[in-house]
Amino acid sequence: MFLTRSEYDRGVNTFSPEGRLFQGGTSRICYRGNQGKREIALDICLNINDGECFVFLQLGSTTVGVRTPEGVVLGVEKRVQSPLLESSTIEKIVEIDTHLGCAMSGLTADARTMIDHARVTAQNHAFTYDEPIKVESVTQAVCDLALRFGESVHDEDAMMSRPFGVALLIAGTDENGPQLFHTDPSGTFMRYDAKAIGSGSEAAQAELQDKWHTRMTLREAQILTLRILKQVMEEKLDQHNVQLAQVTKDNGFQILNETELRSVIEEM
Amino acid sequence: MLRTRIAFLSRVTALVRKFSNTGYDSELRNAHDELEEDGCSGAMWGSSAGFGNLCKGLPRFNLPTVPDPAAFLRLHTDDRADPSCRIKIQHGTTTLAFRFRGGVIVAVDSRATAGSYIASGTVRKVIEINKFLLGTMAGGAADCQYWETYLGMQCRLYELRNRERISVAAASKYLANLVYSYKGMGLSMGTMICGWDKTGPAVYYVDNDGTRLKGDLFSVGSGSTFAYGVLDQGYHWDLTDSEAQELGRRSIYAAGHRDAFSGNTINLYHIKEDGWKFIGNYDVTKMHYDGPGDIPGATGGGYGYDVRTSSSTVVVP
Amino acid sequence: MQRQFNPYTENGGTILAIAGADFAVIAGDTRQTEGFNIQTRYAPKVFRLTDKAVLAVNGFAADGNMFVKKVKQRLEWYRHAHAKDMPLRAIARLIQTMLYAQRFFPYYVYNILGGIEDDGSGAVYSFDPVGSYERETCRAAGAAQQLVQPFLDNQIYFKNQVPPPGVAGGHPTHLPLDRVLSIVTDSFTSATERHIEVGDGLELYVVLAKGRSPQGLEGLRAAHVREVTGHTDGERVFVINQELKKD
Repeated sequence: MFLTRSEYDRGVNTFSPEGRLFQGGTSRICYRGNQGKREIALDICLNINDGECFVFLQLGSTTVGVRTPEGVVLGVEKRVQSPLLESSTIEKIVEIDTHLGCAMSGLTADARTMIDHARVTAQNHAFTYDEPIKVESVTQAVCDLALRFGESVHDEDAMMSRPFGVALLIAGTDENGPQLFHTDPSGTFMRYDAKAIGSGSEAAQAELQDKWHTRMTLREAQILTLRILKQVMEEKLDQHNVQLAQVTKDNGFQILNETELRSVIEEM
Repeated sequence: MLRTRIAFLSRVTALVRKFSNTGYDSELRNAHDELEEDGCSGAMWGSSAGFGNLCKGLPRFNLPTVPDPAAFLRLHTDDRADPSCRIKIQHGTTTLAFRFRGGVIVAVDSRATAGSYIASGTVRKVIEINKFLLGTMAGGAADCQYWETYLGMQCRLYELRNRERISVAAASKYLANLVYSYKGMGLSMGTMICGWDKTGPAVYYVDNDGTRLKGDLFSVGSGSTFAYGVLDQGYHWDLTDSEAQELGRRSIYAAGHRDAFSGNTINLYHIKEDGWKFIGNYDVTKMHYDGPGDIPGATGGGYGYDVRTSSSTVVVP
Repeated sequence: MQRQFNPYTENGGTILAIAGADFAVIAGDTRQTEGFNIQTRYAPKVFRLTDKAVLAVNGFAADGNMFVKKVKQRLEWYRHAHAKDMPLRAIARLIQTMLYAQRFFPYYVYNILGGIEDDGSGAVYSFDPVGSYERETCRAAGAAQQLVQPFLDNQIYFKNQVPPPGVAGGHPTHLPLDRVLSIVTDSFTSATERHIEVGDGLELYVVLAKGRSPQGLEGLRAAHVREVTGHTDGERVFVINQELKKD
């Protein structure tokens, strides 16, 4: 990249004389060092200097989110790597609060920290203001963690030695209606009508762009989500290798149980 | 040797600086404390912005810079020790809860007094922690309200993290540990944590000393002796739902009638397997003259007036 | 013996708030005393927080002013963080947590918060100095609390009187604005007559729900009524200043 001479500060959060951040390179190397031998070939490239973040979650499982006026649907592919694996223990969609849910793709272990932070923030907000937190605010809170790696800033604890290797789809409802947010490891977040992340995201996103429309019902969104997952999955889709969840105004966050899931699959 | 001595000296200097109450250092420190009193200086941005003293996780409290903060607080707020003290903190009064075959009955009055002034007659002394847990309020109204709301938040986090509801035992223990960590600082609360969990109906008594008791039947507050009188003679495990509700109502009425610090209205709750239900709000005076009306379990007629004035109970020559 | 640390003074005065179906009235006198001295005849005790929330503070004036300042700061931060004005019930809970943060070094302040809830109803919240709070229909606090509150109980809650025809006792939120305003004025003129720490001026805030006409304010002399909201399409806040006896 460029010379790293000893007179310059080499902190991962520090700008170089050229105005670059070291973190992209450093964290990537560090990351590969830790994970290189594992099967997951996930590669994060942060390039904050260009004002954009490229995330290549090459083998993260496909995750889809679809917003409708009735609510938001989240769907994930659960890769059952072994017939001996208990598929119900693969947890890729979790509850943040009654009105908030989250689906993840990438290093799901990293998401634990972020989701716990989201839950604590949501509860603190409810405690301090006696109202549910807004979807955007909780997303912002999660993204605040993204740059808390490297050396600690004054008395703050550095939480991680590297950036989080996970992207999230955060779904929820508030006074602005049903909303879907996408967060990536750089800490950028954006609101989407429909978004796919993970290995099959390119094809899935194209399909979403084609099929999504503003007056979609929740049922249509469920079916669309499953259809897209079906297209990008290698295995045959059934109620064991996908998971669907939804957030609606009336019933809040719900993970569809096997019976409900089977009925959507049959209708597909 | 020299090194340790220097280290020791600098430590002493630091200690002296830390505890000196005069001089430039302490001025600066006080100013700093004042700026940071809400818990953290960077609280206006980041994801903990807006949580005030909660932004570091556990709530932090500002203390007066006096040698004995608890004595300071007692001097200015304890109206039982000194009725002329300035800051009158509202106090709650008669509460009861008992466990029986059909669940848990929670009954409370609604009077709050500040000194001898009735600050409110419409206080909600049952705090709805969540769908399955209720807490009662006796002692400092703010202490109970704040910490039981806080407990509710922690119970919700427990639920999200463990994918199952917290037991009444665990919730009450959390609260007991919490108030124990403030022991001697001047908190005042006597509360019953009531609920239904895997073990069935449960009632725990928790107070500001850190006491935590499991039991079938408790009453807390200045009117508790009067409530116990009615409660103990009417209580047994096999009460029907309506009998149990009537017993709770009748017991709080007795306390409202005989204890000057209790009264106004009765709030009655019943916890069953599917969570708590608010049964009703009853005016104590109305109970005295007319009774709860045509309600299952009630005998009909007033609790107090008729029995004291009807000719059948008065010996007429 | 160590000198006692006494950071508190009592500055007299009285505040009250009454909620209507679609409005709230929050009022306070403007006299500030220390002991038997009148320090000033105009020290506001009622403050506009947002277009739908007004806070009255009573007790130790220095604590009160500082507290209002901090509440306003927190409202500002909230507006930046969440891109909206804080709802009334959120302000109420915020005030609880802020008061309770000083549990071991309390603000010597009695707060009454009045305004319009998100559902458009008028609301009053009252607080003790360490943050216990409750939503009510009316509440008086301060030096003349003992004089004013029983009057409000009788006139607003219809306690110990037969409610007028068509009025359900205990649910008085349908009292018309002009009636509420005259009850407030009477409360303060009467308290001024019987309490040395009350008097000089009455500062009265009226918060009207979105879309509600200012009906009920027209009986007042225009010179006394001032609107403090810049727009007429949301909630509206009016200030009314009246004289009280100055002896």
